[in-house]
Amino acid sequence: MLDFITPFLVNSAVQAITPLLLAALAGTLCGRVGVFNMALEGQMLVGAFAAVVGSYATGSALGGIAAAMLATVAFSLILAYGVTVFRGDAVVICVGMNLLASGLTAYLLRQMFGVSGTFSDPAIVGLEKIRIAAINGWPVIGWIFSRQTALTWVAWILVAVVTVVMFRTPLGLRLRGVGEDPEAAETMGVDVTRYRIITVLVAGAIVGLAGAQLSLGTVSIFSEDMSAGRGWIAVVAVMLGRNHPLWAALACVLFGFADAFSVRLQGQGLPNQVTDVVPYVVTLVALVLTHTKRRRRQDPTITASP
Amino acid sequence: MSDIARSARRLPRIPPVPLAILVGVVLGGLLVLVSGGNPVEAYTAIVTGALAWDNLPDTLNWAVPLVGMTLVAAIPLRGGMINLGGDGQMVIGGLVAALVPLYIPGPGPLLIVVAILAAMLASGLYATIAAWGETRHGIPMLISSLLLSYPAIGICSYIVGFPLRDTTTGLAQTAMVPEAVRLPVLSGPLNAGLLIMAVVAILVVLYDRFTVGGYELRMRGLNARFAGYGGVPLARQMTGVMFASGAIAGLVGALIVLGSQFRFQDGALLSPGYTWSGLMAALLAGGEPLGAILAGAFFAALQTGGFAMQRETSIPRVLTMVLQSIIILFLAIRHGVGRRRETR
Amino acid sequence: MMAGPAGVSPEVELEARGIVKRYGPLLANDRIDLVVARGEVHAVMGENGAGKSTLMSILYGLQQPDAGEIFLRGRKVEYRSALDAIAEGMGMVHQAFKLFNSLTVWENVVYGMEPSRSGFIDRRMAIARVGEIAARYRLAVDPTAVVGTLSVGVRQRVEILKALYRDARILILDEPTAVLTPQERDGLFDVIRHLAADGRTILFVTHKLHEVMTITGRVTVLRDGRVVERMATADTSPREIIRAMTGRAVNLKVEKSIAKPGAPVLVAEDLTVLSDDGRPLVDRASLSIRGGEIVGIAGVAGNGQTELIEALAGLRPPFRGRVSIAGQDVTAAGVDAHRVAGLAYIPEDRAVTGTARAASAADNLAMGFHRHPPLARHGLLDGRALTAGAKAMIARFGIKIGSEKLAVGTLSGGNLQKVVVARELTHRAPLLIAEQPTRGVDVGAIEFIHSELVAERDRGAAVLLVSAELSEILALADRILVMYEGRILAEVDAATATEEGLGLLMAGRVQEAA
Repeated sequence: MLDFITPFLVNSAVQAITPLLLAALAGTLCGRVGVFNMALEGQMLVGAFAAVVGSYATGSALGGIAAAMLATVAFSLILAYGVTVFRGDAVVICVGMNLLASGLTAYLLRQMFGVSGTFSDPAIVGLEKIRIAAINGWPVIGWIFSRQTALTWVAWILVAVVTVVMFRTPLGLRLRGVGEDPEAAETMGVDVTRYRIITVLVAGAIVGLAGAQLSLGTVSIFSEDMSAGRGWIAVVAVMLGRNHPLWAALACVLFGFADAFSVRLQGQGLPNQVTDVVPYVVTLVALVLTHTKRRRRQDPTITASP
Repeated sequence: MSDIARSARRLPRIPPVPLAILVGVVLGGLLVLVSGGNPVEAYTAIVTGALAWDNLPDTLNWAVPLVGMTLVAAIPLRGGMINLGGDGQMVIGGLVAALVPLYIPGPGPLLIVVAILAAMLASGLYATIAAWGETRHGIPMLISSLLLSYPAIGICSYIVGFPLRDTTTGLAQTAMVPEAVRLPVLSGPLNAGLLIMAVVAILVVLYDRFTVGGYELRMRGLNARFAGYGGVPLARQMTGVMFASGAIAGLVGALIVLGSQFRFQDGALLSPGYTWSGLMAALLAGGEPLGAILAGAFFAALQTGGFAMQRETSIPRVLTMVLQSIIILFLAIRHGVGRRRETR
Repeated sequence: MMAGPAGVSPEVELEARGIVKRYGPLLANDRIDLVVARGEVHAVMGENGAGKSTLMSILYGLQQPDAGEIFLRGRKVEYRSALDAIAEGMGMVHQAFKLFNSLTVWENVVYGMEPSRSGFIDRRMAIARVGEIAARYRLAVDPTAVVGTLSVGVRQRVEILKALYRDARILILDEPTAVLTPQERDGLFDVIRHLAADGRTILFVTHKLHEVMTITGRVTVLRDGRVVERMATADTSPREIIRAMTGRAVNLKVEKSIAKPGAPVLVAEDLTVLSDDGRPLVDRASLSIRGGEIVGIAGVAGNGQTELIEALAGLRPPFRGRVSIAGQDVTAAGVDAHRVAGLAYIPEDRAVTGTARAASAADNLAMGFHRHPPLARHGLLDGRALTAGAKAMIARFGIKIGSEKLAVGTLSGGNLQKVVVARELTHRAPLLIAEQPTRGVDVGAIEFIHSELVAERDRGAAVLLVSAELSEILALADRILVMYEGRILAEVDAATATEEGLGLLMAGRVQEAA
């Protein structure tokens, strides 16, 4: 079993974790202010598409990242204003956003680049993998940290930043209050609507990064619906982490390894239809395991009676 | 909040759904215009493509699975629950419906019935897993129903890709089902599936209006606590609703396989996106079955028209998907479609 | 401004002139004038719906008046939000606490005004500051405790701390004793006296007469949105205040004959209900309610009454014990089995549990009885029976609604409660559980509901009454059970029960009560 943990597996797991982690962080931020963000899937797709467009147009990966963040923030306006000012139902809005993202990116892909399915072009500049010569040869540390994109680093730094801001600063205290009891926060003079809007938009920028990592990280292509359920897995990570960034990150690590592991299984000759399922099964198992404690308590003598 | 209420009053009084459609059409038209197309041409192509006499059968044919998947979403939604797992449930039904006639001998008409019932049973049972997760373990059905779709799709895909693959073709698909087990053709592209789905749709509407179960589901949707207090067994109800919802998804899969494709082909059931369109239609009507059926038929017309548009202009038919999502987003934001009606 | 009685001119801290607030056709505040002196404890009295809450919301900046002015220490102020009011030195302790249960006491207190050092919260400073204020006003609170673990009385102190941390000079207390034991209440009164002695002004909103007589210096009485009386507490009597509040002399005693109890209808033995984390919420409770008697359950909110009732009604499975209704064991059965066995149940919260606001009156009036004849046969609803039944109930109970097809969401509290009462009383069930049946309804509706409960008893039903109002229990019940920390601590004969004795029992002090 242990010989599965190869440098390549670890390295590709860390790569797989990055978009999940960024999206889950964004979901955690939204959850903390009381907005259940189920639109991560669609936001990620918009980010991935915009990243390719930006990179293609400017000829630089940085341009791609900027475009991804901008586009996803703009897209997130729907959620930010929809659930606050317009008091719409978050679930319906998120379902609509996911569909809109899927349709709009496919439409624009055809209209802008004249292709359907997958778009690849030498003009798309991918994210550079940062090699750190000093640690490259080290076991574990080198596997994890070397040859990763800057966004992987950003993701993990953001985990720390979000955690510190959330639990050590006045801003974080206010955000936590807004999510727990908006009415109480309002009576204490905190503008709940504004905090929510800004948080959802900042979260949008972070999911934009997740999208950029997806389309410019390991590959430099965009294909329709390329988020392929990762946004939903991030939603589960948010749920499992109970809106705590560190626990959500832990869940992402688990799912990332499951993902890398499934690729590895494919290399062992298992068909991809089976291995593709692995991350979802792991996700479901994690859900069941974390929820079994809440089983209803009852003395066994009662259920025995008619 | 009051400012918005006031400005809403100043708008011309168009009922919400037509207004949302209008907004969708305008925004979609702008999108076409920006990407260098002619919106008038596009919409003309959609309307004639969907509603011209010769094209009506195509629209009806497309409406059968779409209205079916609308019911799949509408039944739980009526009770304030959401089933996002339609894809997986439909695929299971499709595969079962293909395998029954291929591997079980028997007279054709009987096999049709057995295949359809087996498909409904399999999908219904699969759907109840999500309900069981929520009632027994408190895992939100919203997310588990969706996640359960992926293994179902993967495993079905594996089954037709490897052990039960039709080796005479290079594709991941089963062999063709025998002629005798195919649904009788009514005329042109229309087959008996249309009648079966019409009967199911009518039954759902009647159930909603006239039965104790329909009343209980409606009350649950308006206030679940109230329903529980009044003696509605919420857990059992959720399981039953998910079974019915999943069974109809299985029926949709079966009708497609036995009515038009005659085999289970990997991915073929999912690529039209019936599940999500159906969910949109159900949300549009807030789960009310008759309204949902109409909305589903409307989306079917829109999508059928989309094919014609793609043929006649260079505008891709995913435009119709964009239109649908704009309509639902507008309604959700502007008119609180799906807004929790319980007081907090 | 400086006009005061007989030479002494206490400085006026707060003055409101001609406050008007209208909600649609309802005039909630009609040209209200209010004058409060510095360091005074000033009672604002009135029945539910008299306009007290609206007036307080306006004084605290939560709502803006349609007309009228507010002066603080002689200076005119205008609030756009509660923030402006807080900045001017207003503080308010709401009836429903506005606290974050997952956060600590100090986090709750400093929320929105956090002491910080180089961008981070200065935790040590915050804790010290909160501890300091608590000590100064003798508010016994641990600043680092998590609010969710605290008792209701302590949470109230946290609310007061929040206001004092913002240096509130005027503190509005909205029905502050509703959730307290008599002993906790006395502790609160000590704190109030300290605050007043420190030159802070207290607006004490209540409808409890003896509290007004004990703690306040002046009283302003509201009725139907108007000020009907202003007086010094020392110069008035409870009788006079109540006449001002109601406009007539109300007899709070309910007319009823002596109970003639029959056979036991509801029997619970050794009933235990656990919380999700395994704590006993109801602890080995046994009770037996007979037909033809009203049994009251007294207790401070949160001592297991809600969970006991949920277990008795089938909404929450008990961990251990037995429940039977009219001889049928319904322990592990769902609500429907309880209903079939003979349960009618008026729940605590009519808007959240008792009705579906978006549903029609007919649908609301059918719930719970919709599975059986005459409303349903063979799984099919009888629409005609549903309509006829609803029409009959609307007429008999005087529910003010245009048609049985209309949604009940717009009905007033009293009318909505009548929908619930009508539904539960119409089917002549052998057992009636009534939880807070008159909370937040007007006097007329209270009298109506009380007489209906007595009528239920007199036709032979077993009635179990849970109420936060001791006066209601004393007026209606034939026997009284006192709940404390999930246990049924004592049974008292209503004929000999006193408010003081019950108060001690509600605080768990059995010896002293005996």
